Amino acid sequence: MSALELDRVSFAYAGADAPVLREVSLVVPEGAFALFAGATGSGKSTLLRLAKPEISPAGALEGGVRVFGEDVRAFDPQASAHAVGYVFQNPDAQVVCDTVWHEMAFGLENLGVPEPEMRRRVAETCNFLGIEPWFRARTAELSGGQRQILALASALVMRPRLLLLDEPTSMLDPLAEKNFLALLFRANRELNITVVVATHTPETMADYATCAFELADGSVRPVDPPRAPEMLTKVPVTFVSTGGGGAGMRDVWLRYDRDARWVLRGLGLELSGGEVRALVGSNGCGKSTLLSVLAGVLRPQRGRVRNALAASQALLPQSPKALLAHETVRAELMEWSRAGGYGEAEVAAALERLGLADAAERHPHDLSGGQQQLLALEKLLLVRPRLLLLDEPTKGLDRSARERVARRVAEARSDGATVLLATHDLEFVRAVADNVSLMFDGAITVTEPTDEFFSNSWLYS
Amino acid sequence: MAPARFIPFGTCHAAVPATLFAGVVALSMLAVHPVFVGISLAGALAFSLAVRGAAATARGLVWQLPLLALVCLLNPLFSASGSTLLFKLGTRSVYLESLAYGATMGALMVAVVLWFEGAAAVLAQDRLLALAGGRARALPLVTSMALQLVPQLLGRARTARSTLAACTAAGPRPRLRDELVRTSTMLLTWSLEDSVERADAMRARGWESGVPRTQYRPERLRGCDTAALAGIAALLVLCATCAWAACSSWRFYPTMRGLAPWWLYLPFALLAALPVMTMVTGTFVTICHEGGCR
Repeated sequence: MSALELDRVSFAYAGADAPVLREVSLVVPEGAFALFAGATGSGKSTLLRLAKPEISPAGALEGGVRVFGEDVRAFDPQASAHAVGYVFQNPDAQVVCDTVWHEMAFGLENLGVPEPEMRRRVAETCNFLGIEPWFRARTAELSGGQRQILALASALVMRPRLLLLDEPTSMLDPLAEKNFLALLFRANRELNITVVVATHTPETMADYATCAFELADGSVRPVDPPRAPEMLTKVPVTFVSTGGGGAGMRDVWLRYDRDARWVLRGLGLELSGGEVRALVGSNGCGKSTLLSVLAGVLRPQRGRVRNALAASQALLPQSPKALLAHETVRAELMEWSRAGGYGEAEVAAALERLGLADAAERHPHDLSGGQQQLLALEKLLLVRPRLLLLDEPTKGLDRSARERVARRVAEARSDGATVLLATHDLEFVRAVADNVSLMFDGAITVTEPTDEFFSNSWLYS
Repeated sequence: MAPARFIPFGTCHAAVPATLFAGVVALSMLAVHPVFVGISLAGALAFSLAVRGAAATARGLVWQLPLLALVCLLNPLFSASGSTLLFKLGTRSVYLESLAYGATMGALMVAVVLWFEGAAAVLAQDRLLALAGGRARALPLVTSMALQLVPQLLGRARTARSTLAACTAAGPRPRLRDELVRTSTMLLTWSLEDSVERADAMRARGWESGVPRTQYRPERLRGCDTAALAGIAALLVLCATCAWAACSSWRFYPTMRGLAPWWLYLPFALLAALPVMTMVTGTFVTICHEGGCR
C-alpha cells in the first residue's frame, strides 16, 4: 500500500500566473524513508503541505493527493492530525509551550485524548527518544538540537503513520543533525512510520534513504538515493603573516552567573595578523562565548584580552537574522555604506555574487535560511573588516553555498583580514583554515597547522 | 559536596501549598489585629529566611521596612482618632491608638508581601497554572506561550545588540534611541515571521480541531495530598473562627482594649509556623538521609 500518492497534481498559488507544480505523479510506499530534494523555491515545501490540509497553501489544486489511499481533502482536522505528522524547519518557531511536558501534551490535548491515555503516549514517546532527563525543563533553556527533537517528539506522540519533515536539520549543527536523523531513522524502522523529508542537502541522509525524488521546474523525477558527500575543494592560499597586529587573550575566566559553571577556564589564545584560524569543539564548549569575549562584548571575570584590530572588526552571529534589520535586501547591504566607504556599484556587484540580483527588493526574511546566511556574511564583508569573527558560517548551507563562503573567506583574507571562525564543519575547516584550535573544557587543548592537525587527529582525520 | 537543597512542598501536589499560602494570606489580610498580624509577620519572615536565605530577605526588607514606617506615620495624619495624645503636629493631633493602627496595617502589608515572595520561591509558575482547570483551560496555554516567548524575545534582543556592538567596522554605534528602534523593528519582524510558522505548527497538531480539549496535568492528587488538604482546610476553619472571635472583641479606638484570651491565637500561630516547620523538618530529614547513605 502506498503511504503517499500524488496523481497528476498541479498547483498554482492564488494570484500567481505560473504553477509551481505541473502534473506531478509519485508514490511513496508504506515504511519508506523518502527524500524530496531540490533547490530553494523548487516547491518541496508546497508539495509536503499539500498532504496536510490544515496548512495547505491557498491556490488552485488539480489532481489527487492521497494518504494511505484516502484523499486528504476529505480529512477533517482531527483525522489529519492523527494520520499525518509534520515537523517544520525552525526550532525556535515551532515550539508552542513553555515546558517540555506541556509541549508534548499540546497536540493530544487539542484532540481531546483522555488523560490516562495521554500519559501513556507521552511516557512511551519520551522513552523512545530519550527525552526523560529534560522532561521537566523549560523550552527556552533547550539547545536548537533539543528543540528539534522535541518537535519530532510532539509529532510522534500523536502516533501518525506518515511523518512529513520540511528541512528539519537545516538550522542545526552537524552533531545535532546526526542525532536527529538517527532518531528519525529509528522511528522509521522500529515504529514503521513512513518518513518523507524535504531537503536541499540529501547527502546527509544518504545512509537512511530508501527512495528519492528530485524537484526542478515544477516537475518531479525519481532519482537514486544520494551517496555520501564529496569533499569541498581546498582554496589554494598559503599563510603569510602580516606581522603583529593580531589579537589574543591570556588566562581568561568567564561564567554567566555567580553560581554557574565556568565556561572559559584559564583560556589563552594568540591570533597572528592575516591568519585564518578555525575553532573546533563540541556543542556548548564555549566557542561562541570566546568569539564574544574577543569582540569585547563580553567581559571576562579574570584575565586579559588584547585586540589590535578592535576598531575594525565584524561578527557573524549564529542566527543571521540578528544582523538583518531592513526591509529589502538592497537596503540591508546599503546600511553600512557610509562607514564602509562603498556605494551602489559595490552593492550591485555583491548582489550579483550572491545570485540575488533579481531579489534586491525582496524582504531579507523571505529568503531561504542559506541565502540569509550568505547575505549577512556579504553585508559584513562590504565594510572590509580587519578582524572577521564567524560563528558557524556554514550552518544549513548546501555544498555550493559552503564553497562560496570558503571562497569569500579566502578573498577577505587575501585583502589582509584576520579571521577566527567557530565551526563544526571540518570539510570547511580543511578548505579555508591555516591553523586549527581544538577547544575543550573551557580552554584551548591544542593548536596546529591544518594539515598537521588532521593527520595527528584520531577523531577528525 | 553539600546535600541538594530541600524544596518544601516539592513532593506533594501543588494544591496543598497553594491552599496553605492562600489561606494564610487571606486570614492575614482579614484579621486586622495586632497579635494576628504579628504572628503572620513572624511566620512569613521565618519562612522567607528559610527558603530564600538571609541575603535575599534582607534585600527585600530594605524597601519593606521603610514602607511599614511610612504607613505607620501617615495613618495619624489621615485619622485623628484615639484618646492617648502623644503630640501635636501643626493643627493635627497624633494619638497613640492611631499610630498603632498604622503600624498594624504596615506590618500586614509587609507580611503579605513576604508570604507571596516565599510562596513564589517554592511554587513554580507552571505548577500553579496546572491547577487552573475547568473553564480556565485557555489560560494555562496562553500563559505558557507567553512564558516561552518572553525569554526568547529578551535573548534575541541581547544577541542583536551585542552583534551590533561587536561590528565596530560598521562605524560608530548608533545613538541609543536609534539602536533601540532598530532592535525593536528587527525583533518585531522576526517574531511575526515566527508566529506564522508557529500558527501552522499549532494547526498541524490539531489546534482548533473542534474537539473539546483535555488537559495533561503533570501532578496527580494522591491520598496523602487529599489528607493534607483536609487537614489544612480544617485548620483554616478553626483559625477563621478564632480570628473572628478575637477581632470582634478588639477595639483600636478610642482606647485599645478587648484582647482575647491567649488560646484563641494558638491555631493561627500553628498555621503561620507550618511552612517554616515543613522546611526545617524536610531539610533535617534530607541531611539525615544523605548522611545515612554515605
